[in-house]
Formats: sequence, C-alpha cells, structure tokens
Amino acid sequence: MLDDFILWNNLKNGDEKSFSFLFEKYYKDLINYGNSLCPFSEKVQDCIQDVFADIWLYRNSLQDNVIVKAYLLSSVRKRIARLHERDHVFRKTTSTDVLEFLFDFSIENDLVEDEITAERVLYLNKLLNDLPGRQKEALYLRYHQGLSVDQIADLLDVNYQSANNLLHRGLLSLRKEWKGSIPLLILISAGVL
Amino acid sequence: MRKRNNYIEIEDFLADESFQLWILSKIDEQGWEEWTLENLERAKLVEDARLLLLAMKVPNSKLTSNDVHEALKETWQKIEQRELLSQKTFKIKKQRTQRYWISGIAAAVLAGVFSTWFFKSDVLPQDNVVTYKELVEENNEGLVEQTNNTEKSQIVTLSDGSSVLLQPNSKLSYPKIFTGNERKVYLSGEGFFEISKNPKKPFFVYANEIVTRVVGTSFRIKAFPDQQNVEVLVRTGKVRVRSNDLVRADKTEEIVLLPNQALRFTRKDFVFSKITNITEDPILVNSVRNIEQLSFEFTDIPVAQILETIEQAYVVEIDYPKDKLKECRLTTSLSDQPLAEKLKIICKSIGNDSNYEMNGNQIVITTSGCN
Repeated sequence: MLDDFILWNNLKNGDEKSFSFLFEKYYKDLINYGNSLCPFSEKVQDCIQDVFADIWLYRNSLQDNVIVKAYLLSSVRKRIARLHERDHVFRKTTSTDVLEFLFDFSIENDLVEDEITAERVLYLNKLLNDLPGRQKEALYLRYHQGLSVDQIADLLDVNYQSANNLLHRGLLSLRKEWKGSIPLLILISAGVL
Repeated sequence: MRKRNNYIEIEDFLADESFQLWILSKIDEQGWEEWTLENLERAKLVEDARLLLLAMKVPNSKLTSNDVHEALKETWQKIEQRELLSQKTFKIKKQRTQRYWISGIAAAVLAGVFSTWFFKSDVLPQDNVVTYKELVEENNEGLVEQTNNTEKSQIVTLSDGSSVLLQPNSKLSYPKIFTGNERKVYLSGEGFFEISKNPKKPFFVYANEIVTRVVGTSFRIKAFPDQQNVEVLVRTGKVRVRSNDLVRADKTEEIVLLPNQALRFTRKDFVFSKITNITEDPILVNSVRNIEQLSFEFTDIPVAQILETIEQAYVVEIDYPKDKLKECRLTTSLSDQPLAEKLKIICKSIGNDSNYEMNGNQIVITTSGCN
C-alpha cells in the first residue's frame, strides 16, 4: 500500500516510470472488472486506456493520499457508465443510471474433491447467482478485488450502511442454511429479498 | 500474522488474502491448515468459508504480460496525440505575444553568428565531425542507452517491436517508448537493424555524420567514432541515406539503397560512394555476420531447428519444452521480421496457448505442444 502512495506521488510529479508501473500492476484487474460491466471487450480496453490517459494529462490536479486501486476501479466504472448512457447500442433497458453486473459466479471444479462438497457448492452457487446484480457486484468487489466496505460504498455511490447490507444480505441467508434447519425453498426467496 | 484468532464471521475469512491463496492456490504460507485443526468451532467456520469461495469463481481474463505492454504502449500514444492537440491550440495563443520578441532576438542572433563564423573558419575539418554524444544530448525524448562491452553481440528490442543486434564495443540510444511521428535512434559502432513496418512513422538511425531513413526493412550500419568510414548495408527493403543537417544543411543529397547494395561514406572528404554489388567489395564480404547469411525461409522444418537458427542469428538462448515440440514442424517465412515478430509468428503457428518471454539474451517459450 505504501508503494502505491509513493508511486502515485511520483506520477503526480511527472514520473513516467511510476505511471507505467501502476498501469502494469492494475491493468488486468481493471480489464476483469470492466468486462463484468460491459460485454464489448474492445470498448472496455478503450475506457481503461482513457482513464489512464486522463490521469497522466491531468496529473497536476490529482488528489493526494488516494487508494489507487479503488480510485482506478471507480474511474473505470464511471467511464463505462458514461459510455453506456451515450451509446444506445448498450442500452437494453430505458434506465440509464444502472450498470448491470454481468458475471455469473461459477464453480472451482478443480478444487472440489468429493460428492458432498460438490453438492453443497453447487447449491451455494445457485443461491449466489440468484442474488440481484448489485449484491453480486458488491461481493465481487469485496472478495475478488479486495476493496473495503468504505471503498465499495464510494464506488457504488451509496452510504456505508447500504454497502454493508449489500454484502451481508446475501451471505446471511447462506449462513442460516448452514445452521441446518430452514428448508431450501424459503432460503432462496429470502436471499432475493 | 494478522488477528485471525478474532475471526468470527465467514466474511472475515473471505476477505483475508492469505486465506484465499490457501484455498484457491494451495499456498499455505501462514499455516492455515494447522491453525484450522486446532479447534473444532473454527474448523466449521473455515469449511463454510471454503465452500463459499469454491462457489464464487469469476471469469478471469487471460492477458499475457505482452498484452499489458501493448496496451501501455497504446495508452502512451493516446496521451501523445492528445498532448499534440492541446499544444496546437496553445501555440496559436502564444504566437501573438511572440511577435514582439522576434525583432530583438534577431539582432542578437545575427551578432552571434558572425562571431562563431569568424572564430571557427580555420578549424573546419574538426567542425565536420558529429559525435554520438552531441546527437544524444540534442534529443529530449528521455533516451535510454544500451552499451555492449561484452565479446558477443546483444539483442535490443525496441518498443515498436523492431530489433537491433548490437555488436561488441557499440552503443545504441533510443526512447523507452516511441512517441510522435518519427522513430529516432542513435548508434555508435555497429548494429544490424530489423525494423517493424510502419509507413506512418519512419525510422531514423543517426550515426556519426549520416542519417539513415527507412520504413520497414533490415540493414546494417557500421559507424565507429574512430574509423575513417561509415558503412550502410541493406538486406531487405529500401533505405535512404543523407548527411546530418548538423554538418551539411545545404547539401541535401539523398542516396537510395536497395537490397544487397551498400554505401560507404568517407568522413574526411565527405564523399558518399554507392556499392551496387557487395560481393565484389572485399571489406564488406569479410564483415558479413551470421544473421545476414542465415535463411529464415522454412519449409516443413522441425521447430527445434528453426529455434536453433534463431539462437545462432541473434546470439540468444531459447528455453522451450523439447519433448512437447518434438513432433512439430513448420512452414513459414520469417525473413524481414524483427526478432519479436519472428517469435510471435512461431508461437502462433504452434498454437495451443504458446507464448514467449524475452529477458535480455534469454528467451523462454511456454507451450503445451502443437496442433
């Protein structure tokens, strides 16, 4: 983390190497996230490159003490949202402010060794995929991109409590099920509530 | 160690990077396994977290470090374009204020010209020599330099994919990333150039008093600071050579060279002589290097043999899974391609997610065999 602060500061002072380093460090994460919001990978690449170009060209007005990764993810999201608004090819619904999280969670098949595990994982996977897109996105950002609840709240433009709810509501129902008393069907509907 | 003894929620585990690493990649640097077994409550929580992780896989893009590098290059180009655009509008504004300055400056410059001309008129031969140092100092693109003090040739890969085989006692200065509409590099000594084609961005080699301009081709330049001549020898494509403006701005003679033609420039009397048949020139015949003699036209040739040819030509070492490529043969034409391009083509032809990484003179090819 300290590294990022230093690199960010160097970048602000016009150091090309630090810029390139941060680019190489986070490009892949950003591509992954971008792809989860937009099905056209070329456009995602473009957006991410534009985000970085902006950072370099407006480096003088960048803030200090930025959590670089959260800042980048958030910038990419905004950029894709703007594209989404502008480009009607993207628009499936009439609403423009909602970016839809496109990824479905899948199963780490290589790591599932026995029948019982397989069954439980399959079930959990179904529960997870039945969650609303925004909850899935919050889970993805928390556990795959390693953002804190604060950062997720910022990124999704909601308050801390709502971000926390997004993360917990889904997992709550799963946890109940593990206590072993509630029938399956009720749980699934509870998860969607 | 983090405070995992206080973990009470599944979320605590999921958010712990080392825990994820243990479950998903079986890397257990923090001793999770042992820690889990210490206590039954804990073991249950860990198991729940594990199942959830297993059910939460997301698609992962398969980017190679080359893809990332490529994207970085494109981004710098975008930045460059946008900078140019904003500069243009900036310049228009600036010109207005500049006018008032010009008359004053002109007078001052004129005085300066007279005094230097007067001063230097009797030491003209010295003035005719351009050094590598001067050339490099004049450039402001933030050059990096590779110096070959070894006994063997060294391969230099430029950001546009072009490669330069740098001979002993030679140096090359080049920008880390080519921006703008020209690609400029500076040579002292001898190098064999294979330039990736890009008609929109001509490639210039500055070497002593001459400038060599190409679009995409292969050629050799020999320009040592302490030698009487500068030589340019062309293998493929078309090459243009002229003198550097620093010494002869008035004389814009340009010589065009075609494959297997060469040029010798005598530094003392500033004469270009063209050599149309290089096999009849004893000096050139003796100086031919491996890379210029080897053929890169392959018809149904084992991959191992192709890689060996590349090793000889570029003086590199290539590491690859020998058993997996045992049965693989290729038919391909790799002449006139820079090293990076050659490797790319080979990997693509083998298929099956084949990839290469280049680190100095070491190349590693990863593959699961051919189609």
